[in-house]
Amino acid sequence: MSKTRVCRSEDIPTNGMKQVELDGGQQVLILNADGRYFAYQAICPHQEVALCEGLFDGQVLTCHEHLWQWDVETGAPVGLAEAPLEFFDVVVEEGDVFVGVASALKLASIFEGISDEAQAQLAGLMREESYHADAVIYDFGAPVEDLYILEKGRVEFMLGRDDRTSPGGFLISKGELFGWAALIADQPRRIAKASCKEESTVIALNGNEVRAILADHPVDGHRVMSNLVHLITRYLASFGAR
Amino acid sequence: MDITYRSKSVRGAPANLVSKGKSIAMKVQVRARNRAYEYAVQEHEQVLFGGLRNAIEMPYECATGTCGTCKARLIEGEIHDLWPNSPGKKHVNPEKGEFLSCQCVARSDLTMEIRGFVGGYPPGRSVPRHFNGRVGAKRDLAKDVMAFSVDLDEPCDFDAGQFMALKFEGIPGSRGYSMVNYAHRPERLDFVIKRMPGGGVSERLFGSDSKALDVQLFGPLGKATFHPSLDKDILCIAGGSGIAGMMSILSRAVHEDYFSCHKGYVFFGVRTAEDLFFTDELQEFKARYPEHIRVVIVLSDEDQRGLEVAATKHSTLEFDSGFVHEAAGRHMKGSYDNVMSYLAGPPPAVDASIRLLLLEARLTTDTIRYDKFS
Repeated sequence: MSKTRVCRSEDIPTNGMKQVELDGGQQVLILNADGRYFAYQAICPHQEVALCEGLFDGQVLTCHEHLWQWDVETGAPVGLAEAPLEFFDVVVEEGDVFVGVASALKLASIFEGISDEAQAQLAGLMREESYHADAVIYDFGAPVEDLYILEKGRVEFMLGRDDRTSPGGFLISKGELFGWAALIADQPRRIAKASCKEESTVIALNGNEVRAILADHPVDGHRVMSNLVHLITRYLASFGAR
Repeated sequence: MDITYRSKSVRGAPANLVSKGKSIAMKVQVRARNRAYEYAVQEHEQVLFGGLRNAIEMPYECATGTCGTCKARLIEGEIHDLWPNSPGKKHVNPEKGEFLSCQCVARSDLTMEIRGFVGGYPPGRSVPRHFNGRVGAKRDLAKDVMAFSVDLDEPCDFDAGQFMALKFEGIPGSRGYSMVNYAHRPERLDFVIKRMPGGGVSERLFGSDSKALDVQLFGPLGKATFHPSLDKDILCIAGGSGIAGMMSILSRAVHEDYFSCHKGYVFFGVRTAEDLFFTDELQEFKARYPEHIRVVIVLSDEDQRGLEVAATKHSTLEFDSGFVHEAAGRHMKGSYDNVMSYLAGPPPAVDASIRLLLLEARLTTDTIRYDKFS
């Protein structure tokens, strides 16, 4: 990984945290969990509050504004939190703390909790694709081949068919999944249109190949499908509530 | 001062104005992370209020221009900011088209973006709407605190712990006040107001001519609510006028005999004995359930003698000194099992209470309820 030295390990007390800046201006929060160091996005994904002003007890990080919480080992949401934290790779060498940007594949909540072996095989399928603003990634009725994970940028969706279409939300966080029909058998055609509203980079993975890897690793396959159901119900819950 | 923003991407206004009675309705499209919504907003109605009234749970907390939670981004159309210098403006970047939806009205059809997930109102929760009312009875509670009632033009359903945004005739802007009373579809709402020197509303209400003052209300608002199906003990930590919403919660709980099988812990902090109010009401609650309700009055700025005098005067209430969260921490040790906490008051008191409950009492965040007003 390309890594940046951000501080000395003793700069952060046990169960303390410190906000640092990477080259390029990205703000990162470094946490010392009883001698183990973790790095996450410095700003709460909820409402742009600095997480270094929150509470950290060595296990759970809490944003003081609305009490969103995350498990510091994984960045996974706990309790009221509705989104994970973007994590960064951390290495401590001779007391120097280095931080590197993690790949979107590792951040993707769809693949959260799977084995290193399956993770490595999936990484072998990754194709990075770049799109300019207003480019269409897929359109209504297009054949379903790939699933996508957002690396950076912004992807918007239109739902419906023919001339009766309406906006259907947007993705802005690194690691978010779209085009997930490719994970499901017998979904040959797109029912939405995905387009970029700004210059965007995505990771494309061939759906059939992903499913073949998951079939070889049934425990991981079960995990991914559970993650997918969780993700879909989250959208449907807020959709069906009205 | 009036400020009107127009999005750069405005395409060939005039807007698609829909005539509806005397008022003109504008169409608003909200693009949230998970989906889009469309609703109509009236000409003089805040964009947020139009959405909430249509049962779209757009983000907000104070609803009165302070907290910044209702921030949205204008994609297309024209808005007008009713309070360009509101404290909440520090949370928005107008150059990115950001605005506070609780302070802006639509001047054309709008398309706007909310960066979070937006759902609908869950079944059973009262959908907010507009009410007209008139200031009725007023009563001094303490040196700088007053109770006032608003008689409504129609009954209003709300949950104990909720608040309304009140706009008084002739005074710009609206302010949030928690209901003190609780009843089924009441036509009168009771509120508490603290005197702020130079504050438009408090000067007017504390003055002599506020009787029959017209009020426009929007609500009910707020998520720090109590319903008897909760089935947990109740911990209330309130500073100053933050006790208002707690009174509504306690009234409902007492009315439904909730404390026959649950406990209630009330910590009410004020500066001195002179600043104390609602002691009769709290003593009545205590008298109904002497074994199950504890009320601890916490005085931060009173000497030992003052504390003793106050304790003698209100013999069924307990008294302590210091800050309200500190007293709660001392008295609650060992009593946190199956507790739902309600917090209200000055922001430093609420923040300190959150720290106490999360870090010392090790409560989970879903057992702490409060609405942030700043």
